[in-house]
Amino acid sequence: MDNTVTSSKDVALVEILDRVLDKGVVISGDIVISVAGVDLIYLGLRTLLSSMETMERLRDSPIAGPMQEPT
Amino acid sequence: MDLIYLYCVTNRVPQPKDDGCGVYSLNHQGLYAVLSKVSEDEFGEENLKKNLRNLEWLKIKAYRHEKVIEEVMKDGCVVPFKLATLFITEDSLKAMLKEHAEELRGNLENLEEKDEWGVKIYCDVERLKKISLIDDKEILRMDKEISSSALGPGKAFLLKKKREKLLNDLIDKKIEETVQEFLTGLKQQSLRTRFNRSLPRDVTERMDDMILNAAFLVEQDKLSAFIREIEILKNQYYEGTGFLFDCTGPWPPYNFC
Repeated sequence: MDNTVTSSKDVALVEILDRVLDKGVVISGDIVISVAGVDLIYLGLRTLLSSMETMERLRDSPIAGPMQEPT
Repeated sequence: MDLIYLYCVTNRVPQPKDDGCGVYSLNHQGLYAVLSKVSEDEFGEENLKKNLRNLEWLKIKAYRHEKVIEEVMKDGCVVPFKLATLFITEDSLKAMLKEHAEELRGNLENLEEKDEWGVKIYCDVERLKKISLIDDKEILRMDKEISSSALGPGKAFLLKKKREKLLNDLIDKKIEETVQEFLTGLKQQSLRTRFNRSLPRDVTERMDDMILNAAFLVEQDKLSAFIREIEILKNQYYEGTGFLFDCTGPWPPYNFC
């Protein structure tokens, strides 16, 4: 990664998500979502997303055994 | 049914680009809400929850949110809202503007002609250790002792542990000093600072560690002094020193509303 000042065009997704999901004014609109999405950033987007999908699949599956935390 | 998506509020008439996504504005006593109509299919509560967990969807919406606000920012000060701030009717949006008018005006006044700049510092701890070892006499002395065959295994083990601790303390001190030096320099060239959580490696997807995650509010006409300070620090702390930093901006003032 370069040490120079970078313009917002080249900025990583993480920079944008960090701001639009976690910063900015919070005023409840009419749709109140529990932004558990915010935690996505701090827990590792890809890891969490895939483990959440796995958990949902396990939950819905009729042959699912006892719920296990995906590794 | 359409919902109303709020991007930001500004105090000058916004000139939204006609990008085919239907950005428009609503005026309430000089406060302009920048909006677009979105479908309930995408942004209704249930579907929104699902969509927020879809990285591809999130990526598109986040970029769009940011781009719209940046466009408005070209013409004047903005108060950026969080992603997915939605209203069912324009009336409820107006009611919100009315309720928070004073707060919004205050924010806009305080942020006039100022921009947010983000600074992150990363540290390659292994490299820093290697560099520090060259200088530190105490550790070098310990290394000599450890590698000499005069010590029994028990003593060698203990000495190794002591050495590890000494090295780690040295690194911690170096990191602390570097961060402080950065902050002192940058704080002088900015109005406000906000510290955020450092992001872990699986988010940054880097091999080094984030040791500072800060946002600075900088007056636009003092920007060159701020950038100059960044350049000075950059020249002192380049990659070879074990530190690396990243400065981005100008951002809408997400961290200062």
